[in-house]
Amino acid sequence: MSKATVELPPKGGFNFDLCRRNDMLTKNGVHAPSFLKTGTTIVGLVFQDGVVLGADTRATEGPIVADKNCEKIHYMAPNIYCCGAGTAADTENVTDMISSQLLLHRYATGRESRVVTALTLLKTHLFGYQGHVSAALVLGGVDITGPHLHTIYPHGSTDTLPFATMGSGSLAAMAIFESKYREGLTFNLVYCAFVEIPQRDEGVKLVTEAICSGIFNDLGSGSNVDVCVITKGKVEYLRNHQKPNPRTYISSKGFSFLKGQTEVLSTKVTLLEKPQQEEGVDKMEE
Amino acid sequence: MRYPYVTGTSVIGIKYKDGILLAADMGGSYGSTLRYKSVERIKAIGKHSLLGASGEISDFQEILRYLDELILYDNMWDDDNSLGPKEVHNYLNRIMYNRRNKFNPLWNTLVLGGVKNGKKYLGMVSMIGVHFEDDHVATGFGNHLARPILRDEWREDLSFEEAVKLLEKCMCVCLLRDRSSINKFQIAKITEEGVTISQPYALKTNWELSAFKNPSKGAEGTW
Amino acid sequence: MGSRWSPYDNNGGTCVAIAGSDYCVIAADTRMSTGYSILTRDYSKICKLADKAVMASSGFQADVRALQKNLAAKHLAYQHQHNKQMSCPAMAHLLSNTLYYKRFFPYYSFNVLGGLDNEGKGCVFTYDAVGSYERVGYSTQGSGSSLIMPVLDNQLKSPSPLLLPAKDAVTPLSESDAVDLVKDVFASATERDIYTGDAVEIVVINAKGIRRESIDLRKD
Repeated sequence: MSKATVELPPKGGFNFDLCRRNDMLTKNGVHAPSFLKTGTTIVGLVFQDGVVLGADTRATEGPIVADKNCEKIHYMAPNIYCCGAGTAADTENVTDMISSQLLLHRYATGRESRVVTALTLLKTHLFGYQGHVSAALVLGGVDITGPHLHTIYPHGSTDTLPFATMGSGSLAAMAIFESKYREGLTFNLVYCAFVEIPQRDEGVKLVTEAICSGIFNDLGSGSNVDVCVITKGKVEYLRNHQKPNPRTYISSKGFSFLKGQTEVLSTKVTLLEKPQQEEGVDKMEE
Repeated sequence: MRYPYVTGTSVIGIKYKDGILLAADMGGSYGSTLRYKSVERIKAIGKHSLLGASGEISDFQEILRYLDELILYDNMWDDDNSLGPKEVHNYLNRIMYNRRNKFNPLWNTLVLGGVKNGKKYLGMVSMIGVHFEDDHVATGFGNHLARPILRDEWREDLSFEEAVKLLEKCMCVCLLRDRSSINKFQIAKITEEGVTISQPYALKTNWELSAFKNPSKGAEGTW
Repeated sequence: MGSRWSPYDNNGGTCVAIAGSDYCVIAADTRMSTGYSILTRDYSKICKLADKAVMASSGFQADVRALQKNLAAKHLAYQHQHNKQMSCPAMAHLLSNTLYYKRFFPYYSFNVLGGLDNEGKGCVFTYDAVGSYERVGYSTQGSGSSLIMPVLDNQLKSPSPLLLPAKDAVTPLSESDAVDLVKDVFASATERDIYTGDAVEIVVINAKGIRRESIDLRKD
């Protein structure tokens, strides 16, 4: 090998070396393997002094359930969490990468991360990949400026909302939010007005209902309800907050899986020849 | 293949204590243009049935012609017997499936409700002939937005007032989340006594959420 | 509207049939779906074709229904001509012919037919969409079939069809054990197949007649 230039290891980011080859293969009828998708219901909602995030726990690969109890609420920072829908690998990696950038930023500044910072990092990353990083996110957190909830689409557009849903179960969940979301109507003396924002428990209940709606009405969503409540200086990650889908039947006798279930039609044994030890050759060292 | 021109969006139907209720808005979309605003998409069929349609409006009107003929010929027997909702539904199923077999579908999803001899009936047919009965049905977007609510809140013994309230709740969600819906509805009722189709009316919507006032307040830098 | 119109849809669902020495169990779930949404949770995929022949079908509901009506009409004509019910093996052949008749615009329907043969033994016939069929001891069709088939193969080991002289294909299980197995495989398929769920309807045919039962499955 006498190459003029030495190949340098890549600095980082994706490797696009095989794109042209793969393109050619697709044109010739060889299709790329499918990815694990979290055909999902994820939701978020702002309540009186924080945000509640929710997710189901089903991961699918086509019509098959690949994981019955996966986690879709990802850690971003101590005060920020993010629900992910779309390709599982994309949501996990994109949240991980931005999470580490946020940590470095905290080391540099010595300040708590802000939700806008996470939002901006996520959307610029996703926009750069023009939708090829298929992550649809619901980002929620509480920072110095208060509680925030955002949705981020795979192409990088974002939205700021009092309640949000994403994934294949987003319509089922949104139906619940649109018909039941009320801003608390608890009279606040400071503002001398009806401040319409729900309480914590109401918020958790509504999020759970919305996720359940996704679980039962959308085939891409299922199994259990995960909830994450973020308030000023406190995070409650309620893993498997509800388990509404137990197995309905178990055979009382159980099963035994015996050997030899495949019929043996004939048997023939061929002995391997003994390998010849060549004289004068050193044995390979252990 | 023929593709639709003017289309109507979701129709929702539910059973309640005394009969069946159907709801649909009155919009007729020309692609994404709201072209017509007073399209009646719920009609009475004979004495015992109500038909609601989403999809191509002209195909729906063609179906109404078929049904007029069917009911007329049935009346001509003059035998004190008339086609009930089950028969009409079956007729529609065959019509829809037959047209899909000819690769020339009637571009509709139909909801058929009715009451005959004290039996409530509610069913649906799609443009390729898939059909079934249920306690509540919804077409198009309604299947995604309204049925989750109906599965949570529907009961067999719903009173008329409760049933209307439930339907309005569903229509409201569809109005907020389905871009081709409009705020002008009709609700139709069928019981043993007969058919009543309401005058068009609008629903009250609430845009006063404080979070809508200034979304990026306290999160400057979002855009 | 979608990109291109298709005359077909897949409405999902799973069917299982097991033949015993003097009974036959036919089962199917009751979920009907399209895409990622459920159309109804309570739709029977099982159809009684004759006194001793019951068919369970999944696939495209409109085609399945047309097929059922077609067979019902032919069976009515048969009864008028012969003044008796069609036997299960005869119905099996009729089903095959009916499916093959539409070879170039097939019924998108995946069927298992179960019942009792002329000796009163359980029989199961399994099909593809265009009428290729075979008599077997047990079978499964539909969206969850790839999950269920290996379990049935293991639990109900049938003798190799290559063995000569041919051995009987009926399973050694008792009727109640077969029903128990069916319930368990449906509960298992529901865990992993998104198109299977809500409830399973089980039909048992034996010398006493036809019996129906059903149990709930997961609804997610």
